[in-house]
Amino acid sequence: MPALLLSAFVPPGSIADFADHLVVHDLPGLPDDRRAETVAFAGRRIAHLPSPMKVGVTAVAALVAILGKVVGGARLAALLARHPVPLFGEYVRLVRSLIYAYVWDTWPHTDPTGRPLGGDGGDERP
Amino acid sequence: MSPVSREPTADPTRLTADVLIVGSGAGGAPTAAILAEAGFDVIVLEEGPLVRQGDVTPFSLEQMDRQYRAGGVTAAIGLPSIAYTEGCCAGGGTEVNSGLYRRPPEEVLDRWRRDRGLVDFDSDELYRICDEVEQVLSVQTVPGDQTAASEALRRGAATLGWRHDEIPRWMDYASGSDARSGRRRSMTETYLPQAEAAGARVLTGYRVDRLVLDRGRAFRAEATTSDGRAATVDFGHVVVCGGAIQTPALLQRSGLRRHIGRSLAVHPTVKLAARFDEPVNVADDVAVHQVKEFAPDLSFGGSASSPGLVALSLSDQWDRFGPAILDWEHLSVYYAAITSEGRGRVLALPGLRDPLVTYRLTRRDKDLLGRGLARLALLMLEAGATEVYPSYRGAPVVRRPADLATMQATFGVSRASLMTVHLCSTVPCGEDERSATDSFGLVRGTQNVRVNDASLLPDAPGVNPQASVMALAIRNARRFVETVKP
Repeated sequence: MPALLLSAFVPPGSIADFADHLVVHDLPGLPDDRRAETVAFAGRRIAHLPSPMKVGVTAVAALVAILGKVVGGARLAALLARHPVPLFGEYVRLVRSLIYAYVWDTWPHTDPTGRPLGGDGGDERP
Repeated sequence: MSPVSREPTADPTRLTADVLIVGSGAGGAPTAAILAEAGFDVIVLEEGPLVRQGDVTPFSLEQMDRQYRAGGVTAAIGLPSIAYTEGCCAGGGTEVNSGLYRRPPEEVLDRWRRDRGLVDFDSDELYRICDEVEQVLSVQTVPGDQTAASEALRRGAATLGWRHDEIPRWMDYASGSDARSGRRRSMTETYLPQAEAAGARVLTGYRVDRLVLDRGRAFRAEATTSDGRAATVDFGHVVVCGGAIQTPALLQRSGLRRHIGRSLAVHPTVKLAARFDEPVNVADDVAVHQVKEFAPDLSFGGSASSPGLVALSLSDQWDRFGPAILDWEHLSVYYAAITSEGRGRVLALPGLRDPLVTYRLTRRDKDLLGRGLARLALLMLEAGATEVYPSYRGAPVVRRPADLATMQATFGVSRASLMTVHLCSTVPCGEDERSATDSFGLVRGTQNVRVNDASLLPDAPGVNPQASVMALAIRNARRFVETVKP
């Protein structure tokens, strides 16, 4: 219930927006379709977090969304990605861990910028 | 192998049994088998689904989606937080863990007996039970060649003269002799079919929300099915085996709180990725060697190393480590685990479905994690690693022993990605004032609520805990049969 209440104050899609900005910052070579799939995966996992974690993440996501309105979402994501600060840093680490695990588990032949390697990118699990 | 029941034959929302067992993992499955064979009418309720071995790739994201709680994204909150995982499927953690098996050390059993005043806690009896378990689960070492990642651990330890050994696994190697040909003898392959053959009903997709008690006697469980229906089970006895997080949470939701959920013990780990000239990566298995030179304080072993998990281990320092992902087939992930003096809590909060889990490391724990990571890096260099990538923000690439000084200077536990898989001790058994149950798992202040899983262990055993959990669970189930008649 608290997560539900908090979510009322979080702009819809704000976690997905942040994940999208973070993917663009960290993995600029990731093709758009893969980026969308990765962001959707991160969103699904966050939606199923245990409720106390979800309350915390939702609260931080709300703050990030508000700050993003002021300084710009992409700029804020880049700032937080480069300069981990308490609380926000844990949020970045959570989203980032989901992104990296998904990208390389799904498309192992991907370069460090997210660009598929060779042909169609070797999109099969090993 | 008999199938695990999905639905009962009668009304699936109004059930009755002599004994309700909540959870079907290393504690619940053998308990169900022993009680059903003794003539009790047993129902096992499992929150997660039944997933057959071979249906998912081990250690993959798909497995995490289908067989782990919350997709494997769970953490004990603290400074720093510690990620952990819980199996949530028929068979519990035994379906998804590494399958490594260590008997509880004699000194650990002595400590538990002495510190907690445990009665009838005879080491010889527990080791006899271990003998039985090892037969049923086919515990053995790999009959043929090790994986390259495992061999690297052995080689590094041998070069340094550090104590090491191969950990036996509960695996059946009937189909081949190589390390990757084994089929795990998990609970869905062993004790759950045994329980069903004796008449137990094993039902998946039931989450028990709370137990209803009247003057210390529980008589009903209120549950929710995976499709959202309310269900009840009326019973004579209940044995809670939901694991070290869910068991205390259920007891607390049922109004039982004394010494429950206050003493979570874990083996925190730090990790690194090591790169070798030759391919070492095994995406769907883990190394079976462990290095115990500094045990029980510290032990080193191999972690799951799918490309996604390799990327994850590099992600704290992606600008420096990221290029290594191009060579993931030459990388494997290793851990340093400590026996922690810290403790955590599990707290069911009103209005929240899941419990809050916290953990606090001591200063000694933090120092030990730093020293452990440095020794693990040295071990990998001696094993022939050309580069080592420690998992913490600000870490250097370690290429030679001289780099270890830089590593130790920059390590801070708050910058590290910590995780654990061995959770226990949230409902400790014993006869002393701190214990939540008696020596056999009967929850204090109740007449018929028992616990029989990792929650009971008085503290973390310093080794893979499944053998300890099963030995204790079988001992307690037999005691139940001796003292309670069907």
